[in-house]
Amino acid sequence: MKKLALRIVTIAALAVVLAVGASCAKKEADKPKDITINMFQLKVEIKDALDAYAAKYSAASPGTTVKVETLGGGGDYGGALKAKVQAGQMPDIFMIEGRGGYDIWKDYIATLDGEPWIKDTDLAFKVDGKVVGFPVAIEGYGLAYNADILAKAGIDPNTLTTRAAYEQAFKTLEAKKRELGIDAPVAMAASVAGGMWWVAGQHNLACYWGGGLAFDDTSVIQNALKGQLDEARFAQYAKYVQLLFNYADKKILLNGSYDDQVGSFAQGRTAFLHQGNWVDPNMKQLGVTFKMGYAPHAFLDTVQTGLYLFAPSWYVVNSQSPNAAAAKAFLNSIASSADGHDYMVNGAGMIPAFKSVTLKPSGQLSQALMAANAKGGNYGVFFGMLPDGAGQNVFGPIFDLFAQSPSKIDQFTADMKKAIAGLPNK
Amino acid sequence: MKQNRLVNVLFLAPSVFAFVMIIIVPFLFGLFYSMTDWNGVSSEVRFVGFNNFRSLFTAPDFLYSFLITVGYTIINIVLVNVVSFILSLIVTSKIRMRNFYRAGFFVPYLIGGIVLGYIWQFILNSIVVQLGVVTAVEVLQTSFLSRPNTVIWAMSAVNTWQYAGYIMLIYVASIQSIPSSLMEAASVDGANYVSRVFHILIPMMANAFTISLFLTLTTSFKQFDMNLTLTNGGPATRFLEAPVKASQLLAMNIFNTATANRMAEAQAKAVVLFIALVFVSLIQVSVNKKKEVEM
Repeated sequence: MKKLALRIVTIAALAVVLAVGASCAKKEADKPKDITINMFQLKVEIKDALDAYAAKYSAASPGTTVKVETLGGGGDYGGALKAKVQAGQMPDIFMIEGRGGYDIWKDYIATLDGEPWIKDTDLAFKVDGKVVGFPVAIEGYGLAYNADILAKAGIDPNTLTTRAAYEQAFKTLEAKKRELGIDAPVAMAASVAGGMWWVAGQHNLACYWGGGLAFDDTSVIQNALKGQLDEARFAQYAKYVQLLFNYADKKILLNGSYDDQVGSFAQGRTAFLHQGNWVDPNMKQLGVTFKMGYAPHAFLDTVQTGLYLFAPSWYVVNSQSPNAAAAKAFLNSIASSADGHDYMVNGAGMIPAFKSVTLKPSGQLSQALMAANAKGGNYGVFFGMLPDGAGQNVFGPIFDLFAQSPSKIDQFTADMKKAIAGLPNK
Repeated sequence: MKQNRLVNVLFLAPSVFAFVMIIIVPFLFGLFYSMTDWNGVSSEVRFVGFNNFRSLFTAPDFLYSFLITVGYTIINIVLVNVVSFILSLIVTSKIRMRNFYRAGFFVPYLIGGIVLGYIWQFILNSIVVQLGVVTAVEVLQTSFLSRPNTVIWAMSAVNTWQYAGYIMLIYVASIQSIPSSLMEAASVDGANYVSRVFHILIPMMANAFTISLFLTLTTSFKQFDMNLTLTNGGPATRFLEAPVKASQLLAMNIFNTATANRMAEAQAKAVVLFIALVFVSLIQVSVNKKKEVEM
């Protein structure tokens, strides 16, 4: 009996300790404090610059602290955010990458209408006429070229405005391969294995969605979302893809990773690179000295001169947070203060989506993009309107198959037609 | 007795609590969500019955993933167990430095699947291909990972390299527990090495086979990490007239569905995986159990 009593006492003591511990934790949370804006973002390459800017902003605005959390290394951002919401730790500012993300998170997304930066940008994320997303940056792409190699081969990049011109240029390069010291004319990646489905299934396919149209013309993709393929337009696009695949470095195309693809261009082993201006830091890292620029993805039979510009992601404010107003003020400071501009351009090396910014990025491809942006006549990028996973699970394998046998253009067209017909059910 | 029961309950309580909270409860939640249209965030959860399951068996990508997983599992069970059994025979023989070999064969198991996938990706994509170029052997010049009909074999080979050492240890322990008098008696009776292995060693090791087959079966069926880093599901191939990913095993198919924000559908696939795995492993264990002998 004595033993039993001892046990009960021990258990009771344990229970008390636990209860005290729990109540302590609670007290801490109840303590009133200054506003802390929690920001959760996925661009690991701008982590340091953003942390520095947040610290600067916190120091300059008493009572407000901005804490930035970055999900590094290609982690599953959507999954991490879901874990946060389940844990009741939804950040005040988070990111979406398009309509798919908006649909998932719409209960947590505040409207930003009336914010002063809206009239300074063309790339705010709008839903039904309401602004909800702050554009993180402008990214964009064309077909990047190595100007030195093209000059040696006697090709003027300014003439590359039609598919026929590309075919001619690729043929010339292919013929002079040994002389120019290149493996193949184009560094293109399309493999599921290398994780490069997005180059083909998102960025390249975006040419079909928006190329040659007005910047905000979404008619082609709207039709696709209803299940319709514009066959005449797609036939021209398919020939362009075939051309790229035929003259691409086969190893990179079928199996290469991002590093293989970008590395091959940076080492001068290919003359063209199908990537956006985000490769600028890689080029710097790899010590690239040659001149480069962007030629348009001219896939139509007619002349095309524009590049593809888009905001890859947007910051959105948590509508259920008590700190929403402070979060909006923080975003506004990025868009409108000199420090904010400095952070975007010099700190993070991005192209700001705001017209009032006068600073210039240092990367050659970013500069080319900025010049194109100033010139106008560019094309929109609309793959963000597709259902989540369409690029990876539906289009990715189709492009991979086409890359394995680029002569089967009819099969490619049939596969795409079927895939697009299936889009409305996704 | 009564007091003992209280002690038992108290000692069990923490583990039972943890087991219920992190296995049983999520499992029941999972079963529930597999019959809804939940997207992972929305607070509106509509019950849709078996709709998620119905569409699974007409989706070529899921069917393909299911079949390729079964194929991969069969290849693995055979390959891993044959290799590890042979290894265990080697390291229990009178060969010199056998302890060194035992450790050496086991080391790959200590490398994480993610790292291992990247290492072998480099070996198969770069070193083997380069070897093919240098020696002018055409078969090697295209990576085994970029051919739809070889990729599963390459994955099985890598998995065997990793897993055989671990299974080998189970066999080694089993072989060592067999009284040497049995083998000696057989050898006095004139049985040669091969017949000693087949008529004495293998029947005596039946319980080791039960556990080894079970382990290889379940780990292959649930394979994910090495799949992700080694092949990422690629390359593409054609199945039922639809482009699918040639090496996308079931777990990865579930993962890709979930990351496309189709949580409920992914959960339904996970339930199918669970049922299939329980079914197959129950059959395997009951068949194997019948072959076990008591000493």
